[in-house]
Amino acid sequence: MDFNPCYKHQLIRKTVREFAEAQIKPHVADLDKEGRFPEEIVRKMGPLNYFGLQVPKSLGGAGLDSISYAIAIEELSRVSASLGLCVTVHNSVGIYPIMAFGTQAQIERFVPDMAAGRHIGAFCLTEANAGSDAGGVETTARKTDAGYVINGTKIFVTNGGVCDIVLVFAVDEGDKGPANVYILEKTRPGFSVGEIEDLCGMRANPVSSLFFEECEIPETNRLGKPGQGLKIGLTALDTGRIGIAAQALGIAQAAFEDALSYAKERQQFNTPIARFQTIQNYLADMATSIDASRLLLYRAAAAKDGGGPFSAEASMAKLHCAATARTVTDLAVQIHGGYGYSKEYDVERYFRDAKVTQIYEGTSEIQKMVIARHLLTRPS
Amino acid sequence: MEKQNTQETLRDIWVLGDYRNYFQSRVTLQILARARALAKGTGGRVCALVFGHGVDEYAREYIAHGADLVYVMDDPRLADYSVQTYSHLLTCLAADHQPEILLIGATRFGQEIAPRTAKALKTGLTADCIDLEIDDKDRLVQIAPSFGGNLIAKIITPAARPQMATVRPGTFQERPHDDLAKGQIIRLEVPEDLPEERVRCIRSAYKPAKAQGIEKADIVITGGRGMGSKRKFKKLFDLARVMNAEVGATRPVVYADWISHDALVGQAGKHIRPKVLFSFGISGAIQHTAAVTDADFIVAVNKNPNATMMKMADVAIVADANQVCSGIIRAIKEKIRD
Amino acid sequence: MVSELPWNSKTGTLKRELAEGMMDPSSRQALEAAVRLAGSAGSDGVTITALSMGPPMAEEVLYQALSLGADRGVLLTDRRMAGADTYLTSFVLAAYIRKYAPDTDLVLCGSQTSDSETAQVGPQLACELDIPAIGWASDIRLSGRTVTVCRHVDDFMETLEMDLPGLITVDQGAFSPAYATLGGVQEAFDTTDAVRILDAAALGLDDGFNALKDSPTRIIDVYSPTTEKENRILKGAAKTVVDQLFKDYGKVISSAMGKDLKTK
Repeated sequence: MDFNPCYKHQLIRKTVREFAEAQIKPHVADLDKEGRFPEEIVRKMGPLNYFGLQVPKSLGGAGLDSISYAIAIEELSRVSASLGLCVTVHNSVGIYPIMAFGTQAQIERFVPDMAAGRHIGAFCLTEANAGSDAGGVETTARKTDAGYVINGTKIFVTNGGVCDIVLVFAVDEGDKGPANVYILEKTRPGFSVGEIEDLCGMRANPVSSLFFEECEIPETNRLGKPGQGLKIGLTALDTGRIGIAAQALGIAQAAFEDALSYAKERQQFNTPIARFQTIQNYLADMATSIDASRLLLYRAAAAKDGGGPFSAEASMAKLHCAATARTVTDLAVQIHGGYGYSKEYDVERYFRDAKVTQIYEGTSEIQKMVIARHLLTRPS
Repeated sequence: MEKQNTQETLRDIWVLGDYRNYFQSRVTLQILARARALAKGTGGRVCALVFGHGVDEYAREYIAHGADLVYVMDDPRLADYSVQTYSHLLTCLAADHQPEILLIGATRFGQEIAPRTAKALKTGLTADCIDLEIDDKDRLVQIAPSFGGNLIAKIITPAARPQMATVRPGTFQERPHDDLAKGQIIRLEVPEDLPEERVRCIRSAYKPAKAQGIEKADIVITGGRGMGSKRKFKKLFDLARVMNAEVGATRPVVYADWISHDALVGQAGKHIRPKVLFSFGISGAIQHTAAVTDADFIVAVNKNPNATMMKMADVAIVADANQVCSGIIRAIKEKIRD
Repeated sequence: MVSELPWNSKTGTLKRELAEGMMDPSSRQALEAAVRLAGSAGSDGVTITALSMGPPMAEEVLYQALSLGADRGVLLTDRRMAGADTYLTSFVLAAYIRKYAPDTDLVLCGSQTSDSETAQVGPQLACELDIPAIGWASDIRLSGRTVTVCRHVDDFMETLEMDLPGLITVDQGAFSPAYATLGGVQEAFDTTDAVRILDAAALGLDDGFNALKDSPTRIIDVYSPTTEKENRILKGAAKTVVDQLFKDYGKVISSAMGKDLKTK
């Protein structure tokens, strides 16, 4: 067992960090304030392979392994959680299901544009009455001679405001029968985008509702075999969880770094506050949680690359990374005192961005369900 | 104190005359002044060297600024500045006369010719000295920034001769022009067989770099990484406007593209000597601090009171650089009389 | 392509940028110039070699060079190379080129590495190899075996020309580097043996070779800079310290500005 990162993983980290610090960091505070999605930055990221992280080179991607993928998302999110979110959702639940369940024709039709960042992907499952419980989905697909007609409303769709390709989770009309996942281009008549949500954090990501009204798609836009929707959804979520765990870790790392340097700089009672044991305890707890999170995350990524089941590992990583992001950003604000509550300092944004990592791609409660199910069904 | 020496030339200090941009760059005169002081320790002469065509005025100028002796090689073939040819001649002359010390101004020309000459003479070379001294063993102590710019190193050349160093323009003060100064001009024959020029000059035009402003400005405002972001860094320009000042920056800031390379204050950039320097969020690597030590009055703002820049300031303000910058802008606007 | 990567002989530690395993920005611009030249017309079959002398960990920087467009990397590393000054650094780099890459057409160097800013290794390497050299290039064009360089030096704008083989050091800021693609990073590790590591013996250096001992210069003392200023310290809220500053030093500031400032 080797806990040292190899040259490649180190270089991936440095390469992403360099880009993020130079090209993204100067704008993050403004983007957050304005709630604006930075298309100009995304255009720069496309040619650098950020939108095809694990897509093979032959399709225009970077061909990275899952640990490299996790590191890239972690580093992007360390600077901008909103952009990290955009990239991980696009890669993990936008592209990955097409790569894993799509026909060769579908892969060749959709993936190259997505991998190049020309088409942004989104995945929509959540509805007003369906979130953690996919059984509540009311969006329907009606079979016609030419293909399908989709009707329904999806909410809280990450990348919703800018997506070009949407993976829609819908049930067969009538008997509320088996669910399927459909690939839908934004150019299809009947598709429309709702208002951008006014959220607590992740404000530079255009999270929105999506509306489907008599939206016609050809047969060739159904992903996977008939009735495979739930399986595709669950696989996508397992993969997505690695990305969200990485995102949470990136936020925690950023908050920790700021807190550490502030604690060394900030003087009270004529001494840097880092000299106080209480602050030292905070810092020690933060660092330990972050390290533990990182190890869980890379193990989950390695398990995925190993080809075996990685669902429990991904859920553990997601659960722990999200909890870490939450507590570390909280302590980072605390260490900053009043300044930490001000928008002059980045920790305030980390604090707001962190919370949702415990909610989306499966709430922490759902992660525990997944983990427990593995424990209880595992042969002893 | 009289020095005993069998071979007199062995004690000489040579200074390469770099006159191409005479009115802008006084570095040769500045080094001559320092060489004059060093010669008190070595007991040798201060010699300047001039290569070119129609260069008598420079030879006389160097004597007026402290040279005991000027070797002149005047030839139409030397009319254009050439690193290769001048280095060749300098190498031959130094091999013949064996000076103890050879000093060259760290102009770009100097930075090219010095390492080549040192290599050819199989001797050492210290770049960008901020001071030069003679120690009790009569060795030239070359004092230069080192180790990533955070420390100063004292460097010697124990065995090889001459001891060579380059010196940044502005490091030393030139002596006043003295018309009565006595010195000897020795004209040397340029050899018939100069090596063929391997670098051909197609075009050369005098084009002074724009934005000389910062080097001459009375008030300079410099910013470092501590400003936080490119957006916040821009606040320094607002301050510069109200104060009629120039803005400079440290290396990391220039590399982060917060400001153009022209604004770099440091060894590889501009050397400044304002009446007042405001330094915001700069910790103070030596490459930067060496270029600002001539500021008459330094106000440094940094959250870290232990930063080098804070230690060398007249007034060290322990606070957030951004907030103080805004505060000064506000104060000046209020205080300027209409 | 040569990048100068010296390390701290005194403490055995490295310059921060190198310790973080990142390529020196100045060398990176030289690599960028090489990549652009190789990509320009009529340069088919050009191979870019990233060459570095440094500690074993500098290997990582060569992978970075591969990710940025170099075709192969070479690390010269040996305890006996530690502590080399520019005289010996250029000697060691030249030893590699003479022995392993004698057909090198063009050597590109950063003009000043961020570690020492000496700007000496490039010119001295050209002397060692006995090839023509041009410093501070801001534009480089190749036409057959002739290279044309524009540069701005000492207030002169010059256009110079030389025949290959030759050496060029690139000016800072002239070749602002592209970001590596992540696919490029992956590719750097897909090829086996793209990075070669050579020691002093492999270069054919004498058994007695010892850079620290053989360097013509010697460091005799290292110290932190100090000053003797009043060093008045002001602390507190921004408004308070600014008021204090103008109360006590307003005259200094106003006289530098050449303007009267109200005292109240």
